[in-house]
Amino acid sequence: MRIVIRVVLLASVLASVAASAAEFSADIVSRDASGAAIGTGGRLYAANGKVRIETTDAAAGFFLVDGATTTSLFVRPQQRVFMDARQSTRLTRIFLPLDPGSPCAQWQAAAQASGLPSAGGDWHCERKKNSSVNGRETLEYSVTSSANEAATQGWIAPDLGFPVKWRAADGTTFTLEHIRVERQPAELFAVPADYRKLDPQALIERIKHSDVWAAPPQ
Amino acid sequence: MRDIRRSRMKWGVSAAALSITLAAATAGLANEAQSSDAASLVGTQSPIKHVIILIGENRGTDHTFGVYKPKGRGQTISNIFSKGIVNEDGSPGPHFALAQQFQVKPQSTYFIGAPDKAKTAYGNRGQMPQPNTNGAPVAQAATGAPFIPAVLAAAATLDPSPDFNPLTDTILTTGFTSLASDSLDTRVPDAGILPNGPFVLQGMNLSDDDYTGDMTHRFYQAWQQSDCSVANATRANPTGCLNDLFPFVMATYDLNDSKSPAVQGNFSEGNEMGFYNAEQEEASTLKTLADRFSLSDNFHQSFQGGTGANHFMFGTGDAAFWSDGNGNAIVPPTNQIANPNPAAGTTNKYTADNAFTNCSNFEQPGVAPIVSYLEALPYRAEPNCAEGHYYMLDNTNPGFYPNGFQAPNPGAQDMIPPSSVRTIGDALNEKKISWAYFGGSYNDAVALSNDAVTAGTAATLNSSTAMAEAALADPAHELGVAYCQICNPFQYATSIMGNAAQRAAHIKDTVDLLADIKGNTLPSVSVGKPDGLLDGHPSSSKVDLFEAYVQQVLDALDANPKLKATTAVFVTWDEAGGYWDSGFIQPVDFFGDGPRIPLLVLSPYTTGGKVNHSYADHVSLLKFIERNWNLRPLTDRSRDNLPNPRMRADAPYVPANMPALDDLWDMFDFDRAVNQTFLQ
Repeated sequence: MRIVIRVVLLASVLASVAASAAEFSADIVSRDASGAAIGTGGRLYAANGKVRIETTDAAAGFFLVDGATTTSLFVRPQQRVFMDARQSTRLTRIFLPLDPGSPCAQWQAAAQASGLPSAGGDWHCERKKNSSVNGRETLEYSVTSSANEAATQGWIAPDLGFPVKWRAADGTTFTLEHIRVERQPAELFAVPADYRKLDPQALIERIKHSDVWAAPPQ
Repeated sequence: MRDIRRSRMKWGVSAAALSITLAAATAGLANEAQSSDAASLVGTQSPIKHVIILIGENRGTDHTFGVYKPKGRGQTISNIFSKGIVNEDGSPGPHFALAQQFQVKPQSTYFIGAPDKAKTAYGNRGQMPQPNTNGAPVAQAATGAPFIPAVLAAAATLDPSPDFNPLTDTILTTGFTSLASDSLDTRVPDAGILPNGPFVLQGMNLSDDDYTGDMTHRFYQAWQQSDCSVANATRANPTGCLNDLFPFVMATYDLNDSKSPAVQGNFSEGNEMGFYNAEQEEASTLKTLADRFSLSDNFHQSFQGGTGANHFMFGTGDAAFWSDGNGNAIVPPTNQIANPNPAAGTTNKYTADNAFTNCSNFEQPGVAPIVSYLEALPYRAEPNCAEGHYYMLDNTNPGFYPNGFQAPNPGAQDMIPPSSVRTIGDALNEKKISWAYFGGSYNDAVALSNDAVTAGTAATLNSSTAMAEAALADPAHELGVAYCQICNPFQYATSIMGNAAQRAAHIKDTVDLLADIKGNTLPSVSVGKPDGLLDGHPSSSKVDLFEAYVQQVLDALDANPKLKATTAVFVTWDEAGGYWDSGFIQPVDFFGDGPRIPLLVLSPYTTGGKVNHSYADHVSLLKFIERNWNLRPLTDRSRDNLPNPRMRADAPYVPANMPALDDLWDMFDFDRAVNQTFLQ
């Protein structure tokens, strides 16, 4: 019964966070530990608990994150198909609507939804001092997972209910810049009804019947 | 009910071959060859400046050309039709009993030549194990072949790989069984009551456009199926291989006698005995090529068993062995070592069906029966097993990932450590002769490998598993799981795969092969391997899908006549895949040869529908390359040291000077070039 109550509470928190998040757009800028700009960049749009991420690492389509479920999709409009994004980019596990006072539940849920092996167990978000990112007030957190990985840092803008900066354990940072708070078209966040969903599992099962798949010994 | 002729209509292959002289053809090449063909400037012993070797998966000679009549004047072929085993319509012929199969009473240890007293022929009317649907797809799927048509259309633009093109857009959606998994394959006429012998894979609901059940094809099983003993020797078959235990071995090698077979999964049953009828529209693209060019009916898989070892032998003339990664033989982990001796209380269940054996040691399970047989042969067939070397007999992934990442714990990852065995690529490099291996979906496989390295799984998991996991996480490159790692002999080699520059220069994708043909940048030596969707392997692919792959390459060559005029295309297979074959087998060492596989040689100098009978195997392809580009044998122990055969008049498939392997030179008539269209 206790587990059920916790799940219900978490779901309600996620839903309320998603619903209350602001609508805005921004550039995604990534830098290495020295501060030099690196490859991954793009645009981000957020509205009504949904997030759209367009990144140069996956230029053929865009990612959609559902803040209520913390799941993400990759959509390829030219081919009219979509698929679970899973771990195709870490941006979908970072940039999603959050509870500024307690962000760990959503970050962990997103990691779990992507299938990350280190997503289980207890995650801990330690509140650090308030700071400013590109002139916007933020709450800084040190984030540790149960996998005993090196801590990461997240900066959350309370007015957006959204992270605006993330520093990975290797020092790489992803920052939202040129944030424009404004209404976003709803179609940015929708998968057209006639798109088909692809899943590689069936292909893998077929290939297992070929000699391409080298079975391990008994 | 489906139309067995629909794929034929798709190909639109004309029965009439257009044949004109090369001089007439080359006179009109005004717009060809925009850029220079560098390989054409390299000195060769023949007019051939380019070799393209296309390798399919798992089809034997009788399986593919068992019912085939050569088109060349005066040409003959050894197949089940010419021997009277079957009639032209595929039904049992007057000498059907020549192909009958036997079962064997339990023996105390592994055997390759069953004692006569222990053998009993299966009865007729269904007593021989019957065909089943082992592994063949039951229905169409969203993301696995056979695809639901609309999804395939999407995939064609999703990934512009050779998998999705006008030739495959229909046949990648067809051929599912509509039958239960691992059940009697009732698409085969008379399935359930088939007599003891081969049966045709043709009927109202069955053609070469259908997926069929697979069967195991591994080293010790293959030797045992061949049933070789000098006690069986005759003048026409001096090695005494009877090839009469094919269904029996499949039915027993993994059978726990204390349990019902029904609860133990699948044992391939009688799929080994299936064959296509080339005279009745099956394998029609291959038949057209045989009609117009040259076919060998005495070409063999070089290694008993499966894919990895045969491709490795093709690339090196040798077998891979477990090492420390620096060329020094060491003992592999225990779970890699084979023990084919029957487990207690079973008919023939292998104790440990694993992939490595130290064949220099008579005490190793499985070794003595084979080595003793080799010693008893009427010619010198050395096992060629170096002391303390555990050789790779069955499929094991290379120690390198497709992107060159070296597995740090190959033993724990079930991957063989990097190999120092010299390859034909090394020999070509030394002479500055261009070459490349073009693997289907290789580029996607590199992307998945990069993902696996990033995820950390490349350091801990087998590469097949790690790349499949990567595909689940990175669906955009999912076709990378269809790239065949074990088919690429160079992926095992430190000299190639461990060197980023070598990798970039020589390991490429099918798209690069097509681009090289179009752009006049084709290397001197090219090896083309389709991915797992197109390779023709039973269960996971189909004959006509491999035909589509071949046709795509040939169409590209037809569009570049000047390049085609100096190119020889060899179309062959890695192994017979466990399919029964009636041909003579010449064992040359511990590792093989095995059953016959088809070899088609397509060039202006091999036209006319000829059939060559000279004894050859995969290493013969190496010998052709070495002769044409003036290379020496790869090492002092590689099989390319064997002489060319002198064929006997009284037994035209048996070399008088065994062991011997042909260099295929005599399949060409270099004095007469004919420009023959491939398939148009």
